[in-house]
Amino acid sequence: MKRKKWLSAFGLSSLLLTTILSGCGNEENSSSGKTEIVLSGWGGNPTEQKLLNEVLADFEKEHPHIDVKLNTISDQYMDVLKTRLIGGTAADVFYLDAFEAPALIETGAVEPLNKYVTEDFDLDDFEKPMLDAFKNDEELYGLPKDYSTLALFYNKKMFKEAGIKEPPKTWEEMEKIAIKLTDHEKQVYGLGMLPQIERMYYMAESRGGEVITDGRATFADDKVVDAIQPVVDMHVKDKTAASPSEVGAGQSAGEMFGRGKAAMVMEGNWNIPFLEDTFPDLDYGTAELPTVNGKKGTMSFTVGYAMNAESEHKKESWELIQYLTGKEGMEKWTSKGFALPTRKSVAAELGYDSDELRGSLVSGAEYATVWQDGPTLPIVMNNFNNQFLSAYLGDRPLKEALKDAEKQANREIKVTE
Amino acid sequence: MKMFSKKERREAGQGYLFLLPALLVLGVFVIAPILYAVFLSFHKVELIGGASYEFRGLDNFMKVTFDDRAIIALKNTAIYVAIVVPTQTFLALVLASSLNAGLKGQKFFRIVYFLPTLTSSAVLTLIFMWMYNQNGLINYVLKFLNLPTYNWIGDPDVALIAIMIMNIWATAPFFMVIYLAALQDIPDSHYEAAELDGAGPIQKFWHITVPNLRPVTSFVVIMGLIGTFQLFDQSYIFSGGSGGPNNSTLTVVLLIYQYAFKTLGTMGYATAIAFMLAIIILVATLLQRKFSKEESLY
Repeated sequence: MKRKKWLSAFGLSSLLLTTILSGCGNEENSSSGKTEIVLSGWGGNPTEQKLLNEVLADFEKEHPHIDVKLNTISDQYMDVLKTRLIGGTAADVFYLDAFEAPALIETGAVEPLNKYVTEDFDLDDFEKPMLDAFKNDEELYGLPKDYSTLALFYNKKMFKEAGIKEPPKTWEEMEKIAIKLTDHEKQVYGLGMLPQIERMYYMAESRGGEVITDGRATFADDKVVDAIQPVVDMHVKDKTAASPSEVGAGQSAGEMFGRGKAAMVMEGNWNIPFLEDTFPDLDYGTAELPTVNGKKGTMSFTVGYAMNAESEHKKESWELIQYLTGKEGMEKWTSKGFALPTRKSVAAELGYDSDELRGSLVSGAEYATVWQDGPTLPIVMNNFNNQFLSAYLGDRPLKEALKDAEKQANREIKVTE
Repeated sequence: MKMFSKKERREAGQGYLFLLPALLVLGVFVIAPILYAVFLSFHKVELIGGASYEFRGLDNFMKVTFDDRAIIALKNTAIYVAIVVPTQTFLALVLASSLNAGLKGQKFFRIVYFLPTLTSSAVLTLIFMWMYNQNGLINYVLKFLNLPTYNWIGDPDVALIAIMIMNIWATAPFFMVIYLAALQDIPDSHYEAAELDGAGPIQKFWHITVPNLRPVTSFVVIMGLIGTFQLFDQSYIFSGGSGGPNNSTLTVVLLIYQYAFKTLGTMGYATAIAFMLAIIILVATLLQRKFSKEESLY
């Protein structure tokens, strides 16, 4: 009797235990002898998604021993990716925004790629600023899959009505014509602009100041303040510029432009398909951004493919990255014009460098400031944008607002150390 | 030293064997994580890329003193608790006693009032965000009544209030049910006696219902305190994880989340804040108990 009790107790416990443990089991075996590698990215629009699937299908055809599984993370991409990297369940190859790259590279979770790159792959073909965004001490950690710079989109009809022949070449010219183009009664502004640092980083550093020095925020420096003062002045003094939310266009300067509330906006390649879909009748052109202090400048945003340092199939992962960022894969991926190719040869092949709308975006690539400046940039961005807004609205002088922001940013950086 | 007899030992062994499943589950999922968190709070931790720990002593706990966002988060949470806990407790009490007064169709209303509690808070928040939209239902009603409208989600001055309203609406019915159960225990004879002495309904409410419910109120307040201090999902969804606009919906738990999963290398600091929050909740609970010492009436 006693023994029976023991047995039942033991049996019950072990039963429960196995149910618990079986939940932790890991099943991984590919039956067909194919190597399965996982690619993680965020979702694009349906057409873009279809295009990616086609490119992946092409890759699988050429590499029959590899099976690529596309895993889309639709929300909070970086949070999910980081959690999976900690848990060891992250994809073999994943999208990595240049902006987030330095912090992730620092942790050692991203595989260095120098040892894989061969002569054939032709690294020199890439636009240099985009490639450098994924470098740390000469070591390459990702390959830019596409990018976009900012260009000046201008409404041709409004320009004609105001008697302006061509888009402005310098910032001063732009200030002048913005006055002509502004019509307060109709709520039309010369320039539509998001008051965010990611749109004017190149301006901020155009007078020799630095937004970040050795990982510390230094944007309250007079050189930086003077350089971006014109942005504030256009809004507060001239009243010829406005942010999209002021005309009910939310956070989209493209929408503001499409609805004819702004004669000019500084936007990227994403704006072209957006305008085509949403405002097909709009007659507009693009030009390179007006020079600041006589110097050409623009921003560049890029996303790359990176490899998980803990991937079990590094060779195959590299084959995938190599294909996707190779001439053939990239040409297909960028063929529909949703993004610009980071390879110069592909841009030439597709004719984007001489394209009426995309030409000015492509010419910007050479001198663009890539939106990436070390691991502390996310904190700097948040604090800058928070306080800059109050200056942009005219609530307080720019210098004072940025001083506060700088102090707060540096405290926050100290907290993370 | 007294030795256990063979029988005693066997019985103890049996007992532990039966406890084993529960102990294992608690150990793995509750106790071990707590101990690990204690460990983490004294280190600078980078879990990505082969976990690395660097001992920092009390550094993580000291950081709070110069972390502006931690102070803002604490302030927001304190305001939230100070307004939501009394309001929802009082509202629950009023709802419960009105639904216990023997009105017609009170069963129906009990169910209707309880419904919000059954809805998941994430879904509830999304629905409320539609209603709080600048052109949404709530502003429409306000405009219809000639009252001022607000940018509920975008205005730093009202965003937290919007969350408060939503949460009071959603949690009060849950406590209402607890009050309803407790109301059944109050003997009718008390009310009869009061009526004979000429007490009106309001006097009966304040002098019989409220004092008789004191132990339950104590429970409700403590549960409310714990729940409100841990506000997270609503403000997370409301602000898209940022705690904005301008940190106005940043709560302590949201801050912990951000340090743990958004910024790299601050897991240790996040656990340190979590412990400080636990201490704050503990102190608040103890204070509450001290102020309502008499658990029983008699």
